[in-house]
Amino acid sequence: MIRRELKVNLRGFVIWTGTMLVLLLLIYLVYPSIVSDGKGNKVNEMLEAFPPELLKAFNMDIAGLDTAFGWLKSEGFVFLYLIIGIYSCLLGSNILLKEESEKTIEYLAALPITRRRVLLDKTVVSMIYILSMIVILGAFNMLALNISETPDNRQLLLLSITPVFPAIVLFAFGLFISTFSHKTKKMLGISIGMVFAAYILSVISEMGEKVEGFKYLSVFTLADSRRVITKAELNPICAVISLVLFVVFIVLALVRYQRKELV
Amino acid sequence: MSETILEIKNLTKYYGKVKGVENLSLTLNKGEIFGFIGPNGAGKSTTIRSIMNLINKDSGSVMFRGKELVRDDTEAKSRIGYLPSEVFLYDDLTVKGIFDHHESFYRQYECSAGIHAKRQELVSRLKLDETRKIEDLSLGNLKKVGIVLALMHEPELIIMDEPTSGLDPIMQNVFYELLKEEREKGNTVFYSTHILSEVSKICDRVGIIRSGELIRAGQVDEISDKQLTFVTVTADDVDALAAELGVKVLSKEGDTVRFANTVSDDELIKKLANFRIRKILIEEATLEEMFMHYYEEVTPDDKT
Repeated sequence: MIRRELKVNLRGFVIWTGTMLVLLLLIYLVYPSIVSDGKGNKVNEMLEAFPPELLKAFNMDIAGLDTAFGWLKSEGFVFLYLIIGIYSCLLGSNILLKEESEKTIEYLAALPITRRRVLLDKTVVSMIYILSMIVILGAFNMLALNISETPDNRQLLLLSITPVFPAIVLFAFGLFISTFSHKTKKMLGISIGMVFAAYILSVISEMGEKVEGFKYLSVFTLADSRRVITKAELNPICAVISLVLFVVFIVLALVRYQRKELV
Repeated sequence: MSETILEIKNLTKYYGKVKGVENLSLTLNKGEIFGFIGPNGAGKSTTIRSIMNLINKDSGSVMFRGKELVRDDTEAKSRIGYLPSEVFLYDDLTVKGIFDHHESFYRQYECSAGIHAKRQELVSRLKLDETRKIEDLSLGNLKKVGIVLALMHEPELIIMDEPTSGLDPIMQNVFYELLKEEREKGNTVFYSTHILSEVSKICDRVGIIRSGELIRAGQVDEISDKQLTFVTVTADDVDALAAELGVKVLSKEGDTVRFANTVSDDELIKKLANFRIRKILIEEATLEEMFMHYYEEVTPDDKT
């Protein structure tokens, strides 16, 4: 089961990871010319004209754009959280449901395997791919930045780990909500919409005290990259909450899937 | 007394307010082919999906070898073969790939020793090319792959839903032979179909389902031998004759009527003696006509 799922989901993993690597590569190739000859300082000066809330939302108040590492700490990780989040949520909402959508479920259900095993094997495969994507992108960033400049490698390593927290929660939530549907088409829009909604809430929550509460509604709060940038450490509470939410949604998905009518 | 392999007790399933099956009970014995027939929408697939635990029963139970067949009983599932009416498999695999994949699930079970040899035998008899991709297979070849998957682990209970759709007549005969061999080995086949000729060809017993209720079950020969005849009479007053007999007229043309008769020949002749009969033809109902009669005439209250 695991071997088959690894094979089936490999293509999607390669496309998503490959596309992100190409985009990052392009940025790293172009960035030196953007910030050369003191242009980076001008960019930073320009940013000073922006409202502080907006700068805070993108970590630009604590990371300048005058280096590629500075870009990665601000806009770069926004992009990574979003893409890894969408990939994880889509994987979660599709990996079980596609058996129903492609009508192979009657074959699968007749095999001597429990539904729990099906769900857990698919979860293991998804975790392998989500974590592999995070490791590959992290390793690429580390390699590329160390070639072009001298980044704080500890900070970079910790930042590279942060996408794990929102990603595993989004995967488990996607898996859970997929147990309410029979068609993957319906889940595509819902999954992408959910990730964007969570991201927008996270951005809005940085824009003032009145809306700060929104951060508790957004899964991206769990990444807490600000803490890594300012204190050079991961937020242990966010890590625990992520794991708890992951387990809770997997258990809920198991309960739902056990009773689901597979037609 | 025959050993019971599968026992469905008071199975009821509604889809919202729409009845799937209601209070359906039947028993399958070891080493028999049980034909399960009914028109489209009668509840055949609902019954099968309930047995396979694909859907949740509202009430009732399914017992396999004396034990309730629950969703996660993998040991029981390893002893059941299932062929759905439409075979959907993983398109990216070859025929060999899906058979290898299938075999891998049975390694820890009793049947694993002979599974590969059985697979090779079935592939040879059904003339399958294992190198072809699933997505390139015709409906008939896909069905043949489904048959191999349902039989290769030598299951004690084989559940098949419209198994011959898509098979050419030569392959149908090979398939019937395979089923008869399974029966000889003591395995049981639950054979759902709406093709009546298949039932008389290979089934030992038959159950007729209509509107979600089992209206008749028994030996195929027994049902065929029941006193159902079709009578065509030409008489002076056919309306009065039909009223006297209490039959529903199937067709009427001038002084000639045709009706289905369930009383004995002796009783029929005595009743007809009150009328002036010009011509009479009594035909024995074929199995097909018998089933049609049950579909069209028998209400659920009449079940025996």
